[in-house]
Amino acid sequence: MPVYNFKRIGPVPSAPDLVDIVLMRTQRKTPTVVHPGYKISRIRSFYMRKIKFTQQTISERLGNIIQDFPRLNDIHPFYADLCNTLYDRDHYKLALGQLNAAKGLVEQISRDMIRMVKYGDSLYRCKCLKRAALGRMCTVLKRQKASLAYLEEVRKHLSRLPALDPNTRTLLLCGLPNVGKSSFLNKVTRGNVEVQPYAFTTKSLFVGHCDYKYLRWQVIDTPGILDHPLEERNTIEMQSIIALAHLTCAVLYIMDISEHCGYTIEQQCRLFQGIKPLFANKQLIVVVNKVDQQPWETLEAEKREMIESVVKMGGGNCTLMPMSNITEHGVSQVKNAACEKLLEARVDARVASNKIDSVMNRLQVFQPQPRDNVQREAFIPESVKKQLEEDGGRPKPQKSRTGYAPTVDDPEADGDATMGDAAVKKTARDLMWENGGPGVWAPDYRAIYDLKEDEWKFDSIPEIIDGKNIADFVDPDIENRLAALELEEEQALKELEAANMENPEESDLESEEEAAVMAIRDRKKTIRLMKNTNKTNNRPMMPREFRGRAKDKHDPGARNKNEIEKRMEDLGVDASKMIERGRSLDREAARKRGRSRNRRDEDDATMEDAEPMDDDGQSKTKRKKARREREESRKRDPSVNKRTHNKPQTLEKKGLNEDTKATAKKMERKGRKGWAGGAGEGDNRKGVHLVKWMNTGKKRNGTHYCR
Amino acid sequence: MATRCVFENTHEIGVFAALTNSYCLTGVGGSENFYSIFESELSEHIPVIHATIAGCRFVGRTTVGNRRGLLVPNTTNDMELQHLRNSLPDSVVVQRIEERLSALGNIIATNDHVALVHPDTDRETEDVIADVLGVEVFRQTVGGQSLVGSYSKFTNQGGIVHPRTTVEDIEELSSLLQVPLVAGTVNRGSDVLGGGLVVNDWSAFVGLDTTGTEISVIESIFKLSRQGRQQTQSSMVTDMRSSLIDQLS
Repeated sequence: MPVYNFKRIGPVPSAPDLVDIVLMRTQRKTPTVVHPGYKISRIRSFYMRKIKFTQQTISERLGNIIQDFPRLNDIHPFYADLCNTLYDRDHYKLALGQLNAAKGLVEQISRDMIRMVKYGDSLYRCKCLKRAALGRMCTVLKRQKASLAYLEEVRKHLSRLPALDPNTRTLLLCGLPNVGKSSFLNKVTRGNVEVQPYAFTTKSLFVGHCDYKYLRWQVIDTPGILDHPLEERNTIEMQSIIALAHLTCAVLYIMDISEHCGYTIEQQCRLFQGIKPLFANKQLIVVVNKVDQQPWETLEAEKREMIESVVKMGGGNCTLMPMSNITEHGVSQVKNAACEKLLEARVDARVASNKIDSVMNRLQVFQPQPRDNVQREAFIPESVKKQLEEDGGRPKPQKSRTGYAPTVDDPEADGDATMGDAAVKKTARDLMWENGGPGVWAPDYRAIYDLKEDEWKFDSIPEIIDGKNIADFVDPDIENRLAALELEEEQALKELEAANMENPEESDLESEEEAAVMAIRDRKKTIRLMKNTNKTNNRPMMPREFRGRAKDKHDPGARNKNEIEKRMEDLGVDASKMIERGRSLDREAARKRGRSRNRRDEDDATMEDAEPMDDDGQSKTKRKKARREREESRKRDPSVNKRTHNKPQTLEKKGLNEDTKATAKKMERKGRKGWAGGAGEGDNRKGVHLVKWMNTGKKRNGTHYCR
Repeated sequence: MATRCVFENTHEIGVFAALTNSYCLTGVGGSENFYSIFESELSEHIPVIHATIAGCRFVGRTTVGNRRGLLVPNTTNDMELQHLRNSLPDSVVVQRIEERLSALGNIIATNDHVALVHPDTDRETEDVIADVLGVEVFRQTVGGQSLVGSYSKFTNQGGIVHPRTTVEDIEELSSLLQVPLVAGTVNRGSDVLGGGLVVNDWSAFVGLDTTGTEISVIESIFKLSRQGRQQTQSSMVTDMRSSLIDQLS
């Protein structure tokens, strides 16, 4: 069963708006920068994309409109006819058809223009073609101004139609204007339809809902209809006729027997005869309204006869009921009778069409076949039974503010609760609101404990005490089982011990020897530990020259006489000679230093007499020394030669062993070249990167960077 | 009378409450609204207990019981078990059972005399059910569903089963359980009866979505309405037949 939701249709923009939307979208969603220097294929595709995109947007927008609006051939005939009357079927179809045609035209234009852009030979020409394409598309859209405006109006009206389900249980009110149809709707539903004492207050269909027998019923109020031929009926009346013609429903034909509506009973009967064909296959009730003004019993005989003959004419399905909306006499009877009649008809139809087989299990109560002689009683506590008897079949008054906080003007919050219901126990919910609401207050769950003594309720029970919790004591024979387990464990331990006694481990060492062994093992362990300590030299090192030197008067350093003596004594070595030698060396060094400081002076002083000078002003000893050096240098390895030492040397030539070779190779690979301060792998040096094309040529008017 | 209620925006109240003829368990919620619905209806007659099972509040699905006993799954911790033990009257036996299918409320449906269980439950569990709850136990499915606790609900007076159960199956079940049965729904067409319906021999609670028709079916089959107590359940057949037909087909 389709449910029609005409509120879903999206708004239809007016033609200028649509043009704006489309062009704006093209501008926003396609690239905007093009340059005459681009390759021509790129320029062409740039403009083709614009045309294609515009066309797609238009097709999409128009397509949505065409899709959204209901197709009159597909929807329920009631709605189809209603649309025909309200919006004129031809006009409606034409408008949608024109939009469809426009969509086709736009697609055609786009195809043609794209084909032409493919032959465009310059940017300018492509651009002109694009302009032409977009312009033509917009012109097509502008021509749809009237259709779009019309469809927007239709949409607005459609979305305000009552949410009327053509297939559900429906009561339909009809009759001349002012006979009391809307008043009846207001009485039986909460439709709240406008009621006024003049004709055609109701100008369209209105829907209200009411309940009967657990079901939801739809009551439709129709505009009044006048007694004239179908061709002369106006739009307002036609809506009633359409509803009558297309809905499967129970019809309440309302007549005003007081004739206050301005129409005589005769006129009303004539109208009934006029629209009688529409009542075929419907449950019909002729409701004689306004009996407070003119009781049915005191009505003139001929008028009464007239009405009765009308009812008779309605066939077996038709009944007559008096009613008054003002005194509410007969209102609910009319409603119930109508609902009952329709429901009966619907059920008969269902039963006839075998639709109920699938739900047969829900329509009957299956009584058990007794399988044994056991009596299976219900268990209802005595207190419940007593209460039920006391109530006497009446439900007790209940507070109906479930789920809501009591407010200040809640009558039960202050007055009633304190006085009337003093005996009634406060519920946890009342207490919760008194004490700050949910999340603030929660009841103490121990309050309802059912224990032997009431004061035990709030005793604190530790979850675990002495390694046990209370559940450990639940089992009555827990002690026995524990004892059994312990016995078993003891047994197992004994067995283990017995097994150990059989082959005791005997040591064949004396106690002294054992101590020595232990000492050795300890020592070994220490050595192993020392070996495993981190001995890498990855830390700042003091140069050897300064190592052990005295830093200040407080720290004489390791090369001190006293330190050396102490250390050597610990090792069992006599240090006196060592110290003596060191002292003499020191003295020697000091003497040399002292002499060298004034050697030049001495040399200068003794130059004339001590040594004869050569031509070039060098002393003989110096010349000798120079010669010796020269000779020695000739003997030296050529690799150390000044002229060749820049050349790469093979490692073998350096006379290095395999180990150092490997290290050196590794270092070389890393780029360290043996020097600890060299560039490592973590050194991300970036030299100045000068790109040639960026740094040559003219730099004027910004032409340089953007091409 | 059946009362419509809601647990923190869910209408599956059977998940959060368990009701028998001698006690009622409700899950611990953020507020006391749900608890107080049960409290105001029942607390004069039977204890209404806040409970959790393994720290979770869906007590209706994890536990099952009748007036003689309460079965809780092995995930229940000692404190919870002790709380239940303290709150329940001494006539009610509380038993924790070792069963692989730990949502006992889903796999077991019981009244005070007969129980239906999921076909895959352990034999030991079956024995425990028979002993603790004092019932005859039958391995059964309801409407092709093996979660009998979810898809059926019955008391000593009547029962309601999954709406797709065939006529023959209902007849068989009715003879097994020895109570009148009908197929029906709760919560506007939901077939999870155990979820939407909490009922004992004299009171019922249904999810807030339950329609008037569903409530009247429930009241008449469980003999809860005041007329229903005097009449038999067949009143449903006569009074409501037409509205049921019109609504269902």
